[in-house]
Amino acid sequence: MTVTLKDLRPVHVIGVGMHRYQFPSDTPYIHMGLTALRAALADAGMEFPAIQAAHVGTTGCGMAAGRVMLRHIGSTGLAVQQIENASASGSFAFANACLEVASGLRDVALAIGVDKYGDQKRAVTKEGVNRLSDTSTIPLVKYALMCRTLAREKGLTAEDLATVGWKNHNNAATNPYAQFQKPRTLEQVLNSTRVAGDLTALQCTPRGEGAAAAIVVSEDAIRDLGLDRGRAIRVVSSTAGSEPLSRDREPGSIKAARNVALRTYAEAGITPRELDVVELHDAFSIEEILYTEAFGLCGPGEGHHFLREGRSAVDGDCAINTSGGLIAQGHPLGPTGIGQIHEIVRQLRGENGNRQRKNARIGMAHMIGLGSVAIAHVFRND
Amino acid sequence: MQLEKPDLYGLAPDGRALRLRAARCGDCGELSFPVVNYGCPQCGAAPERCTEESLSGAATLLEFITIHGQVAPGIAPPIVVGEAELAPGLVEEVVLGVPEEELALGMRLQAVPVEIRRGDDTLIACRFVPKEGRT
Repeated sequence: MTVTLKDLRPVHVIGVGMHRYQFPSDTPYIHMGLTALRAALADAGMEFPAIQAAHVGTTGCGMAAGRVMLRHIGSTGLAVQQIENASASGSFAFANACLEVASGLRDVALAIGVDKYGDQKRAVTKEGVNRLSDTSTIPLVKYALMCRTLAREKGLTAEDLATVGWKNHNNAATNPYAQFQKPRTLEQVLNSTRVAGDLTALQCTPRGEGAAAAIVVSEDAIRDLGLDRGRAIRVVSSTAGSEPLSRDREPGSIKAARNVALRTYAEAGITPRELDVVELHDAFSIEEILYTEAFGLCGPGEGHHFLREGRSAVDGDCAINTSGGLIAQGHPLGPTGIGQIHEIVRQLRGENGNRQRKNARIGMAHMIGLGSVAIAHVFRND
Repeated sequence: MQLEKPDLYGLAPDGRALRLRAARCGDCGELSFPVVNYGCPQCGAAPERCTEESLSGAATLLEFITIHGQVAPGIAPPIVVGEAELAPGLVEEVVLGVPEEELALGMRLQAVPVEIRRGDDTLIACRFVPKEGRT
């Protein structure tokens, strides 16, 4: 018999922090990582030696980045583990940190994502399997093809796709951690450089770097370290999967995303209607529309209507990507999943300024990684 | 002249079309493309359970777009790519040898050899073009 996170010891996020996402630069990854970590420690009201284990999500920093970075804040002898799982590296680092605390192995664990724009070498290029088209493993192309099919079958328009970019760029405009902080008009998004099919540059995630950190703790740690119970956000589910075998034309990432969302709702004991805020993998605008449907936030084929009606706006049925998402907050890979958690935690605490969703209580961070793999966490302000 | 990807296709006897190299699994009976040395992607059977099967290179066009940007190293835009059904239920992304304006959904395609330059070498690549009008 297996158990879920909710069957184990309660786990809470007590501190979050970020280094702003930015275009590739000379900034050392150590500076970015420690900036995020120090912000998370300050947010938690905790000193670094209290952390018993660190889970480091990164794709481009090279082997053993964790100790190289963390020794500059203290060689306390804590356990250090590095995790690479493409876009979902940070999310999986967070899952491991939660599992350690929930299992009773630790009372205080750190999940930290940090990345430089690396060589982007993918294992699929070493598979030794040729393809008829050299772009067949590039998600952007798969999604651009799907846009055309949905345009014909469901009435999806180029304006719908641009609306995702418009919404998320404008959300990011007031997010001090976002790579893009410039309000955009729908026309600017629609008329930016075409990349593939109907997808334009301002509907696609940029290249970047940055860092994000989250500290998770047990109830014992909250009591023993004198932490502020009122700012702790409970992690109520942690669910991962990968795409199933299929021969239909729906991208495997959508299937994986749907399966993981449904399982994580069951584990958290919620329905999608209870979600106040969701951060999801909008590397390309069409993904947000498809995941909105896959997550059950609207009916199949209704994602673009949900968007058009403003139901994914900050004050809509469910606020989606209030951070600006991958399109505008950015997507440095290692940190991305933890950056989502940073946004959700601040929303559920009511600390998100003019992007604040009123009375936000339950949120989900949902991430996709190459392969495809999927992972979701549900959070609740108790 | 060398084929760009000889593991995926070979020249038809008349030299004007390409035959695709697929695999049929002896355990589940499913067809897969391309031939891989690791096992059946449908049921996981060991690679020795799969036998090679030649496809005519005829296909049905299901979707297509133009790639305008440099989406990956080595890709020279603009290029037209599409999804094509190579055999019932077997859909692969393919490179099309004509502009979007000459394509229509449901159109029958044929894999044909096209000469490309790779450094100092000329290679035979696979492109899919409308079958109608070809003799």
